[in-house]
Amino acid sequence: MSNPMHDRGEHYLTTPKAEPFLERLIFNNRALILVGFLILTLFLGYNAVKIQPDASFERMIPLEHPFIVNMLEHRDDLDNLGNFVRIAVAVEDGDIFTAEYMETLKQITDEVFYLSGVDRSGLKSLWTSNVRWVEVTEQGFQGGTVIPDGYDGSRESLEALRQNVLRSPEVGRLISDNFRSTIVYAPLYEKNPETGEALDYGEFSRQLEEKIRDKYQAQNPEISIHVVGFAKKVGDLIEGIASIAWFAGITILLTTLLLFWYSRCIAGTLVPVFTSIVAVFLQLGTLRLLGYGLDPYSVLVPFLVFAIGISHGVQIVNAMAVEAAKGFDAVTAARLAFRALYIPGMLALISDAFGFLTLVFIEIDVIRDLAIAAGLGVAFVILTNLVLHVLIMSYIGISKGGVKHVQNHGEKQDRKWRVMSYFSHPGVAPISLLIAVIGLGLGLYYKQDLKVGDLDEGAPELRADSRYNLDNSYIINNYSTSADVLVVMVKTQEEQCTQYNVLRAMDRLQWELQNTPGVQSSASLADVSKMVTKALNEGSWKWFEISRNQTIINASIREAPAGLINTTCDLTPVLVFLEDHKAETLQTVVDRVEEFSNNYSNEEHTFLLAAGNAGIEAATNEVISNAKNLMLMLVYGVVSLLCFLTFRSIRAVACIVIPLGLTSILCEAIMAVSGIGIKVATLPVIALGVGIGVDYGIYIYSKLEKFLLEGKTLQDAYYETLRSTGKAVIFTGVTLGLGVVTWIFSPIKFQADMGFLLFFMFLWNMVGAIWLLPALARFLLRPDKMLAKARASK
Amino acid sequence: MANRFMCETLGTACMGVSMALAAPAAFALPDILETPARATLLAPESLLNDATRAGERIIAVGERGHIIFSDDEGETWVQGAVPVALTLNSVDFGTEQHGWAVGHSGVVLHSSDGGENWTLQLNGIQASELAMESKEEQIAAMEEQIDQAPDDEKADLEWALDDLLFTLENMQADLDVGPVNPFLDVWFEDDSHGFVVGAYGMILRTQDGGETWQDWAPKLDNPQSFHLNSIGQVTGGGLVVVGEAGQIHVSVDGGDSWERRESPYTGSLFGVMGTGQVNEVIAFGLRGNTFRSTDLGRSWTVVPNEGGATLNNGVVADDGRITLVGNGGAVLMSTNGGESFRVHFRNDREGLMAVVPVSGTNLLLVGEGGVKFADARGRNPN
Repeated sequence: MSNPMHDRGEHYLTTPKAEPFLERLIFNNRALILVGFLILTLFLGYNAVKIQPDASFERMIPLEHPFIVNMLEHRDDLDNLGNFVRIAVAVEDGDIFTAEYMETLKQITDEVFYLSGVDRSGLKSLWTSNVRWVEVTEQGFQGGTVIPDGYDGSRESLEALRQNVLRSPEVGRLISDNFRSTIVYAPLYEKNPETGEALDYGEFSRQLEEKIRDKYQAQNPEISIHVVGFAKKVGDLIEGIASIAWFAGITILLTTLLLFWYSRCIAGTLVPVFTSIVAVFLQLGTLRLLGYGLDPYSVLVPFLVFAIGISHGVQIVNAMAVEAAKGFDAVTAARLAFRALYIPGMLALISDAFGFLTLVFIEIDVIRDLAIAAGLGVAFVILTNLVLHVLIMSYIGISKGGVKHVQNHGEKQDRKWRVMSYFSHPGVAPISLLIAVIGLGLGLYYKQDLKVGDLDEGAPELRADSRYNLDNSYIINNYSTSADVLVVMVKTQEEQCTQYNVLRAMDRLQWELQNTPGVQSSASLADVSKMVTKALNEGSWKWFEISRNQTIINASIREAPAGLINTTCDLTPVLVFLEDHKAETLQTVVDRVEEFSNNYSNEEHTFLLAAGNAGIEAATNEVISNAKNLMLMLVYGVVSLLCFLTFRSIRAVACIVIPLGLTSILCEAIMAVSGIGIKVATLPVIALGVGIGVDYGIYIYSKLEKFLLEGKTLQDAYYETLRSTGKAVIFTGVTLGLGVVTWIFSPIKFQADMGFLLFFMFLWNMVGAIWLLPALARFLLRPDKMLAKARASK
Repeated sequence: MANRFMCETLGTACMGVSMALAAPAAFALPDILETPARATLLAPESLLNDATRAGERIIAVGERGHIIFSDDEGETWVQGAVPVALTLNSVDFGTEQHGWAVGHSGVVLHSSDGGENWTLQLNGIQASELAMESKEEQIAAMEEQIDQAPDDEKADLEWALDDLLFTLENMQADLDVGPVNPFLDVWFEDDSHGFVVGAYGMILRTQDGGETWQDWAPKLDNPQSFHLNSIGQVTGGGLVVVGEAGQIHVSVDGGDSWERRESPYTGSLFGVMGTGQVNEVIAFGLRGNTFRSTDLGRSWTVVPNEGGATLNNGVVADDGRITLVGNGGAVLMSTNGGESFRVHFRNDREGLMAVVPVSGTNLLLVGEGGVKFADARGRNPN
């Protein structure tokens, strides 16, 4: 970096007059601008601190998808179906028929009854009066509560209890098949009917832990408690968001150490860290003012903002050190650094921002929020990095140690760059290309297995070995239940939802679906009607059929669960229980329902998809797979266009974009191999990876072109490129990688997936820029023609 | 259990399904009487209400028009082609080839090829019309009788006439809804003579293999039209029908005339069977109430049964062992001609509807959960 005026960036100076103006504006008002930053930071920082975790359910689903539109339209009719928690109280040894167990269960039932948010009338456990046994006798029905009258914990009353349990329909539902646990079933209010307040999932989940699990497991060491349900899952997610604070701390520490190792200057280390943190505060504060909270996706954006801030800040430190080494004072060095960097820096950052903004086209709010949060963050990085950072440094200056470190271009260092310059050698480049083609082939081969959607069992948001998923698999293994439910909404005319023809049609649909691969079982009003008709006919299975007699149907569904009939009786759901929530399973089932609906929907009944967690996932998958190609086209289009506008050469675009494409394909192959599907969390990774990854190529190529235009051979030009910017590029890759790598330890599975994939994308894009770009340049660039063209334009 | 599904043998069922799926425009679903049973691999795991043998073959019937047969003692099953998709309740084969199955919507199905293909012989509309015709004849006869009766008897006869008119009204009301009532049991002596019995006192007789049916309800003393649940033949030739309210009807002339026996029980009897000895009968039903008669139902003794689960069906094996099955997975076994039973409740506690002896002393059970195997006492085989 010997000649500041011809350093990186002069290539972009299409409007030279703007530079002195902006520079004057900033450097003539240094104190004022700093005070302005102070006020802005204090104001937005205050807001940033007050930002709340927010795992809003609706933001995670594609609201514009017809399935979701149907679901939300009928949300009030379906409410009680979805939102409940099941608390399994299990004994370690023996069975549930002991006085101690029953006492603990009673206390737990009482405790749950008083939890805020529980719909008390629907609460069910062995101890609630709505859990009964029934028997047919000559006189009609005979029944009672499962807890025998006068229960006193004696051996006789426990034996009576056992008999009642066996006679009740609850084995497999409230009582596990092996009689070693029972369930306390608590439906929840989405909105508290007394206060109108929305259920606070985080608080509810905490109460379950403190007042139920911890308390009773401590009180009775013989028992263990397992809790599942949407509210618990969301609660655990919110808890997971909090653990992000640790990762932030670790990331900042690691980055600071790395930065010091790089710059050997305390100011050059602390100032970029400080200004990057300021950018994060500005971003978070603005988000809060715009009404956003921190969801499990956008909570990751500050990491990206911080990493981007650092990786670009390092360019400033580097440039200032170079200027300072030439003997300029701090202010002049800062000015020169600004002059050299503000255009390429802005360009790189703007391309980052555009990469993020392509995510806005995915019709899922969390992704859009992520795009907006990241776009905002990058905008603030432009300010903090190119203005705040430079101004602070203009007061402090680079330390002598830092300057010395820059000057210390040792032989050893240069030898390393010399070896790496062989990537552009005519003998090495074909080998590199061959390796790249093999890599591409392997990538394309393995990528075939790439799936859409969540692939793991249980709650895919959380880790397989998370407490929630362990609880979930306990309940699935011990009770007749499935965690994956698709709900088909059957719409009829008012007061017609129990008509014979409607039940028949539902029954027919159910049987079609039960004969569909991936479907475990199904349930609807038709099943209730058949079951109760059988019961009303003295329990004889020969009466297990939907009666043509409407009076009998009406009698049979008099006590049907509330969720199966809405208040106006024009909607009744068919619940389809699936073996898993893999995309193929969902697609097969959805196709079958749509086919049935197309054939048999009429004025009496229409079949609407879809609610239930599987319905939402099916809709999400559809949106994701439709958005994927659009997003890839957009992000590559934007990046290619920006590169083309900058370098005015298709060949240059190819040199920069081909390594990115290889990385994207390898990333998809890695996803396929490691069982990560394309989903809400991983789709943005590609946009982020490409948007940020292009920076490396821009830095490398702009230098390379400059040296080629000076008349150097390709290998020499690349050697000079590496000498001047190689270290910064590698440093950038490592910092970005560090920024996301800690996510791998997140309790939230998709954050871990994102961290893992972004880590790969950031590092491998850097490798691609350093290793593959020069090899491509060997084949694609014509230095003599470039020279001729440059001379001609002069 | 391994099962095999052959589309070729299912002709109509396969075609019916594929045509329905190919239909482009929306239309109402056809009535369940006109909907062929869907070809499915799930039939052996779904509700089966009855099972019987036709020679070496085992045939079972159940929900959604399922009729399945097995030629290897229940190891593998093939689904027969059935033109209706409603719950079938009972099956009986008069010969190895000729069999009948009955069920909801008053259907009687016939197969002349050992259970592979089935045709609809009778539906509930036709059954109701037959019953109403004979009811109208009864009414006409009664009116005539009233005309000729002395005045002091007229009042009683008027009451009886009112009962008949009321029953006829009910029948008409049911018919207005559709074929609402199910047949509950079927019995065939050979390839032409048989009875079907069902809800609200339905009983029909055929003497020509189901070509024509006669309403036989007037021959039974069942003025309140209680359900007739089961029909069976006892060694010695006696026919017995049991039903709701402890009804026991016996015929000693091949079904021409019926006599109501005094019942030891007022609850529902769901099954009746011979023990293999002349004139020995066992009848059983609600809450496990079981009764035994050695004189074709003239006198009954209570068979002790502490199990308390409703019993649905039973069978006598070649070695004379009697097995009864019922709700809650109850399997009752007697080695003394039904004087006493040993009770076993299966772990899954799923309802059992019928039992067929298979190789050795093992049992094939059908019911709520489809086909199951058990040893002689009802336990899972090793």
